[in-house]
Amino acid sequence: MSRRNARRTRRRLWLALGFVVVLVFSVFPVFVMLSTAVDPSANSGSRNVLPTGFTLDHFRFVLDEGNFLTYLRNSVLVALATVLASSVLALFAAVAVARFRFRMRIPVLMLILTIQMVPMEALVIPLFLQAKTLGLLDQLLGLVVVYVAFSLPFAIWTLRGFVAAVPVELEEAAALDGASWWQMFWRILFPLVAPGLVATSIFSFIVAWNEFIFALTFMSDSDLYTVAVGLRQFFTRNGANWGAVMAGSAIITVPVMIFFVAVQRKLTSGLIAGATKG
Amino acid sequence: MSKAAVRSTGTDPSGPEQSGPDGGDPPRRSRRTGIRTGARQADHLAITRRRPWLLLTPAFIVLGVLLLWPMIRVVTLSFQDFGLRELVRGDAELVGLDNFTRVLTDRLLWQVALPNTLVFAAVCVVLTVGIGTLVALLLNQMTGVWRSLLLTAIMAAWAIPAVTGTYVWIYLFDARSGFLTGVLEYVGLVDTATTNLFTERLWFFAIATLNVVHHGFPFVAVTVLAGLMTVPKELMEAAEIDGAGPVKRFFFVTAPVLKPVFAVVTILSTIWDFKVFTQIYLMPGGDGANREVLNLGTWSYVSAMGQNQYGLGAAIAVLLTLLLLAVTVVYLRTLFKEEEL
Repeated sequence: MSRRNARRTRRRLWLALGFVVVLVFSVFPVFVMLSTAVDPSANSGSRNVLPTGFTLDHFRFVLDEGNFLTYLRNSVLVALATVLASSVLALFAAVAVARFRFRMRIPVLMLILTIQMVPMEALVIPLFLQAKTLGLLDQLLGLVVVYVAFSLPFAIWTLRGFVAAVPVELEEAAALDGASWWQMFWRILFPLVAPGLVATSIFSFIVAWNEFIFALTFMSDSDLYTVAVGLRQFFTRNGANWGAVMAGSAIITVPVMIFFVAVQRKLTSGLIAGATKG
Repeated sequence: MSKAAVRSTGTDPSGPEQSGPDGGDPPRRSRRTGIRTGARQADHLAITRRRPWLLLTPAFIVLGVLLLWPMIRVVTLSFQDFGLRELVRGDAELVGLDNFTRVLTDRLLWQVALPNTLVFAAVCVVLTVGIGTLVALLLNQMTGVWRSLLLTAIMAAWAIPAVTGTYVWIYLFDARSGFLTGVLEYVGLVDTATTNLFTERLWFFAIATLNVVHHGFPFVAVTVLAGLMTVPKELMEAAEIDGAGPVKRFFFVTAPVLKPVFAVVTILSTIWDFKVFTQIYLMPGGDGANREVLNLGTWSYVSAMGQNQYGLGAAIAVLLTLLLLAVTVVYLRTLFKEEEL
């Protein structure tokens, strides 16, 4: 009995240690970001990560002189358009490859997977030239189409798994009850795949919100910068304005983080498991 | 669904696979569709056969115009002498393999860009998948508030954009105000009076590795955790009763069940870590100022956008893509041998 207790205590200690290590490693950069953003002596060169006081001056500077409100608007517009377009396209394609056995199914799957291997960076050059020809440089739409294309393969690939996990019996029941295929699609498949859509929407959103190279390459008009590119102005030849960099970074990071944590439950608890068990 | 059922339908191109409880079973299918009249049944079959293509078309148009066509264009570009003049004029001169010869005979490729890509990716993938799996196992042992708390922290790490995350790591290793530089100096690993971490190739990539692994492990952890939750409890209990310790249970019960999950996270991590660009480009010297820290991605970009040698940049991009394709093919072959996708 006591040996078992000792083993349990030891297990608890290891778990606690792992908990602390992972927790600190995970949140350390965010913590440093936030504490520097509100630190009045952020640019003094002290090696501290704890703030020496509290100020919102860096945020004021970033929003007033840093033109960040414009960048935020651009980023939000681009990200939302990307999420909408890529969710719809990916869901259709995922149903096609998960629910139908057609002749070209395996080649199509291979193609989608292979296309995902293509490094975005490898296509910057041709897409830059293409966008230049089509007059899509210095246009938010130019970024949206590129981001949709780049988030699609992953979204299709992921959703495929979610669609396949929906029990076929549910579809058959719907068919027996006289539902058409599209009714079945929207009433049965769509709600059950919703957690998957949340996951892929997050992914598309992040692709668009975080993307840097195309936003840097396509936009020469500083009024069309997205937030990721807008940050670069705080690095000057005389060194970085760290207070401003971290305040800007916090503005970019915190909304995404709140959004992430809010949907975390949906992401990790399988709604589908519930549907089949019940 | 059993594997046998999937196999039998894999060779049967007609009709939807999921038309019966075990798709490939003809009598069952006819029983189901038997409630329809003959003409409606024929219509139904025609629609069903076209439906997957109907569903795929929009995605294919986007992928074709924005991924396939540029892929072709980058290849043709790599055979052209395409500079600033051609950018204005539009047409360009074919120069055969000149760009590739230049790249392949460049010391920069063999001693700098290739190792900076390959070794870096290998280290990052091993660390990302390893740490991610350990974290998933830890999460699987925890319950209630603790688990939610840790999941939230991991999500927070995941949510940091590459750009802002990179800036934080640069700040932490900054020569003047970096907290971690201070720690390294305190331990005696670095003397900031004589060295700048970012100009040393090894340190540069150590910092980049830390950055990439921190950015990548949450995805692995969450995916593997989702897989762990599907491992049947009875299986674990049976193994425990048979006297298997936690390590044995992981390697003989969990790992085989989760093999497809590991395959996916490893493939995706490899793809992502091969083409790391932003995290390198944004670091001091990473934008081409320090040639020693160029990888294939940044080298290609700097050649094209910085020096207006679009043909040369395209050739490097083609090489990077071929390298990735080779890795992918190896992965795919092992995957397809193992199971039906």
